[in-house]
Amino acid sequence: MKIKDGFILREVAGNFIVVAVGSAVKQFNGVITLNEAGAFLWKRLQDGATETDLVNALLEEYEVEKEVAEKDVKAFIQKVEEAGLIK
Amino acid sequence: MPKYKIADVVFEVKPIYRYTVNLCKAYEYTGEEAPKFVAQMTEQDILAEQQKTDEKYPPAYFESLAVFRKLLDYSLAHCDGIVFHSSAIMVDGNAYLFTAPSGTGKSTHTRLWREMLGDKAVMINDDKPMVRFIDGDFYVYGTPWNGKHNLDTNTRAKVKAICKISQSKENSIRRANSAEMLLTILNQTIRPTETVGMDKLLNLIEKLLTSVDLYCLGCNISREAAELSYKTMSGEQL
Repeated sequence: MKIKDGFILREVAGNFIVVAVGSAVKQFNGVITLNEAGAFLWKRLQDGATETDLVNALLEEYEVEKEVAEKDVKAFIQKVEEAGLIK
Repeated sequence: MPKYKIADVVFEVKPIYRYTVNLCKAYEYTGEEAPKFVAQMTEQDILAEQQKTDEKYPPAYFESLAVFRKLLDYSLAHCDGIVFHSSAIMVDGNAYLFTAPSGTGKSTHTRLWREMLGDKAVMINDDKPMVRFIDGDFYVYGTPWNGKHNLDTNTRAKVKAICKISQSKENSIRRANSAEMLLTILNQTIRPTETVGMDKLLNLIEKLLTSVDLYCLGCNISREAAELSYKTMSGEQL
C-alpha cells in the first residue's frame, strides 16, 4: 500500500493536515486532519508499507498493546482508503 | 491600459471586456510606480475560471475572477498575501474578520455592527479581502471583489481578531483554538495548487493563527449578538 502522489502532510500550528497539490486537487479539494499517530502512520504509507509494517511501526514507536495497534491501523487504513488516497 | 493598486500592489490589466475596468475603478492608480505584473487576459484564462464552477455567469465576470487570481498568485508569491472568504470591518483602526461558509451570516453580522456603531464602522470588504503579513503584523486590505452587497473600501487596517461564525438561537462567544480555526480558514481560503505556494500559504496561516485573537461566535440576527461580539473582541464599551 502506498499514498497516491500529490497528497502532502504538513504540521501547522501543532496540527497535522493533509492537502492535495497538482493534479490530485481535481480528485480531492478538502483538508484531512490527522492526530499524531495518524501522521506517524501516514509518513510510513508515503514510502509504501503493508498493514503488518504499520502495526510493527506503531508497536516500536508507542507503548501500546498489539491488539490495540492492529485495531488502530485497520481504522486508519479504512479512513485513507475511503478517501481514495491509496494507490 | 489602466493600472490599479490593490493591497499595495500596483499592476496593469489588459482585459477583453469592460467589466473588470468598471469593477476596479476605485482602485485605479495614476502614480509613477511601475506595475509589478501585467494581467494580460486571454480566452484561456476565462475558460479556466468557467471550468472551476458549475455556476453560469457572463465571460466578463469570469475574466474579473481571472484577474483576481493573478493578483492573488502574485501576492502570495511576493507579498505574503492570502485571501480567505470573510467579511472584514474596521472600527477605531482595528480590523475584525468574520469567516464562515457561504450563507452562514457573515455579511449579516457586519451589517449589525454598522447599524450599531454607525460611522465608526467601516467595511473593508464583505467577501474577499486580502490579508498581508508586513513587518511582523497582519493587515487586511479592501479589494473590489466585494460580495453581493458591493461593500468595500480602498484602505487597510491591522487585523485584531478573526471570528468564526455559526448560527445559533442563543448568542455566545468564546476563544477559538488553533485547530478549529485552521480548518475553518483553510476551507475558506483560495488555495494554490502547487507545493511551493501551498507551503507559503500554510506558513502564513500558521503565523496568522498565533498573531491575532481567535474567536468562535454562535449568534442570531440581533443587536444583542453584535454587542456581544463587538464588546468581547474590541474590549470597548458602546
